[in-house]
Amino acid sequence: MAESLMPLIVALLRWTDARARIDPLSGEVETDPRGAGPSEADRCALEHALRIAEAAGGRCAAVTLAPEPAEEMLRDALACGADAVLRVDVPSWDSRVPDSGATTARALAHAIRTELGEPSLVLTGDHSADRGTGSTPAFLAAELGCAQALGLVELSYADGELLALRRLDRGRRERLAVPLPAVCSVEPAGVRLRRAALPSTLAARRAEIPVVAGAVAAEPVTAHAARPFRPRAKELPPPPEADPRLRLLRLTGAHEHREPPRVVVTDDPAEAADELLEYLRGKGYL
Amino acid sequence: MRDRAGPASSAVTVAEPERPQFDAIVVGAGPAGSAAALELARAGNSVALLERGPFPGAKNVYGGVVYGRILDELIPGWYDEMPVQRWITRRQTMLLDGERSMTVDFRSQNWGRAPYNGATTYRAEFDDWLAGHAQKAGAVLVPSTVATRLLCTERGRVVGVRTDRPDGDLTAKVVIACDGVNSFLAKQAGLFPGDQAEHTTLGVKETLALPARTIDERFGVSGHEGVDIEMLGCTQGIPGGGFLYTNYDTLSVGLVLGLKGLAKAGKRPEEVLAELKRHPSIQPLVRGAELVEYSAHLIPEGGYDTMPQLVGDGLLVAGDAAAMCLAAGIWLEGVNFAMGSGMYAGRAASKALTSGDLGDLRAYRTLLESSFVLADHKKLRKAPELVLSERVQQRYPGLVCDLVEGMFTVENPRPKPGVRKLLRASAKRNGVKMRELARDALTGLRSFG
Ligand SMILES: Cc1cc2nc3c(=O)[nH]c(=O)nc-3n(C[C@H](O)[C@H](O)[C@H](O)COP(=O)(O)OP(=O)(O)OC[C@H]3O[C@@H](n4cnc5c(N)ncnc54)[C@H](O)[C@@H]3O)c2cc1C
Repeated sequence: MAESLMPLIVALLRWTDARARIDPLSGEVETDPRGAGPSEADRCALEHALRIAEAAGGRCAAVTLAPEPAEEMLRDALACGADAVLRVDVPSWDSRVPDSGATTARALAHAIRTELGEPSLVLTGDHSADRGTGSTPAFLAAELGCAQALGLVELSYADGELLALRRLDRGRRERLAVPLPAVCSVEPAGVRLRRAALPSTLAARRAEIPVVAGAVAAEPVTAHAARPFRPRAKELPPPPEADPRLRLLRLTGAHEHREPPRVVVTDDPAEAADELLEYLRGKGYL
Repeated sequence: MRDRAGPASSAVTVAEPERPQFDAIVVGAGPAGSAAALELARAGNSVALLERGPFPGAKNVYGGVVYGRILDELIPGWYDEMPVQRWITRRQTMLLDGERSMTVDFRSQNWGRAPYNGATTYRAEFDDWLAGHAQKAGAVLVPSTVATRLLCTERGRVVGVRTDRPDGDLTAKVVIACDGVNSFLAKQAGLFPGDQAEHTTLGVKETLALPARTIDERFGVSGHEGVDIEMLGCTQGIPGGGFLYTNYDTLSVGLVLGLKGLAKAGKRPEEVLAELKRHPSIQPLVRGAELVEYSAHLIPEGGYDTMPQLVGDGLLVAGDAAAMCLAAGIWLEGVNFAMGSGMYAGRAASKALTSGDLGDLRAYRTLLESSFVLADHKKLRKAPELVLSERVQQRYPGLVCDLVEGMFTVENPRPKPGVRKLLRASAKRNGVKMRELARDALTGLRSFG
């Protein structure tokens, strides 16, 4: 199963402003690069990467796909003990450009392979703070052709074996032995990123941060026009009842027949899937 | 356990370092620290600039106006690159009493053109910009790092600082404490004579968002012109004052409240501020604005007579750490004094580093005395006391409003009263003796004149 030697452990850090402001009228998102950095989950991913690299005698690298101001974040990673860092540059950075995670994963996989080598383990936070889809690590696993274990709350490496704990519904936990190479995403839980020592912090301040051009740029979406949302007016005739009370009741929909929501209680995945399919069929989706 | 800075912390005794890691350590990347680091780095010294916030300005609070003239010396042409919200072209001093107010309003379009005068700017942007210059000159900025203690030799010479990072001792030939008000480092070095609470005020501020066009219309300005309003008589009897400044699309409205007076009044600062915002002269200016930030910070308001010793053995103190904020009623200037003192501290330290004689650090005081920093403070040494006195705070706003109301209320068929008679009546109504008025006028003239 696992290789006992883990030459390269990569922590992927997404650079986001966790305190972005949203204009309530225009919906415009205002971000401030000075306050931006890795999410709590990404910080945990880095800590895991550092610990596993130490335990396995491997190399830990921190990688980000982000613009230049994100280099501060990589300096912090160096100060914490990362052996290498890499910034994958983005031609025009706009965190609002929609991306399924596939484009990012492709660019990162390419950069890691060409600049750092074949990774044994890639770690990320479970969800990015700004997009929150959690899909990038899955795309990355596909891109690198390796195993994936996502949304982990615990991760440990001993005797060549990577063991993980994953949260399941209803308080249950799943214990996994993760084959390598793998991509793992972790929840912001269990560990805390170490505080960097002063000498390494000083050294990191002066370090050169290697940069490569993002091989695949996210396809930008151009807005040709922006208009306020004004749904078309719909004609709604008043209820026909003469009695105002009945008219009101009709408007509230209180007497209409409704199917109550159903709670599916089954632990068997096949049964749950059947339930779901049945429901979708019943609603005419299938 | 992580080492923390605090009033109980004390200096650590260490052996004299054989080879200090830096020529100078500057603690605090506020305006004082960055100016000091810039000056030192430009002279070719190795400098570490320690900042506890994740970036310079991250933790800093002030009202909003920077007077950048001293930057002519540090960063020529600064006004073309400094991050500015609005250039102040209108200055008002407002006395408030009950529902009344009396305002002196001055406008100069000259201040809206190079070489400019004052500007509103956000500290997160301004401090970051200034620290950026220090970094470009070669200073090493170390953010998210708190200097917790001084490192001293047995003979009491400061040779570095301990930080809250693992393995966190840092040594240098000179340390400059620019750690702001209530400086633990200056206290550890024994440079402060005693309790500072009496001479410290609490500044509270709300940042209120409004569209730029609305600000232009309400304040009678356009483009990047802005307004600075300083207020007296708006603190419900607590010694202090108020301010309102225009940023591009926000307003800064706040209060400065004497710590002891505030504690005695048993009021919350935000309540006093809410009351100010309800005043008929202020309410139309802030109406409909969205609160985007509330912040608070201490201000060393005592002036010249409450400053610590500025030079220690291997240590200089600058900016708010040395109580150099000028808070004299119509003036609330701290950033320019911080930059000025920081620059001179950097200059004196540079001289000492070049000569190899730490005794040359004493030139710092001489440099300050021959500049605006100590000259202004010395001239205005009685001003803080006068401005925070009970009469100026609680009686004069009413007196002035009574006087002006009397002058402009038309009471036909009664003839207009003479100003002298009105003044006497207003003074009496507000419990001010003419003798006291004359004495305060003289003190005011001596301080401000
Ligand atoms: C409400 C309010 C309104 C004000 N209005 C104005 C105004 O309109 N105009 C004006 O000119 N002045 C104003 N002032 C005063 C002005 O803010 C200060 O005088 C000025 O900021 C002083 O600069 P400084 O560099 O000495 O200190 P600070 O600006 O306080 O900077 C100190 C820096 O040191 C850092 N630091 C502190 N301790 C440590 C440590 N142990 N280790 C590492 N880093 C540390 C802090 O994070 C900070 O960045 C106002 C102040 C307040 C509170």
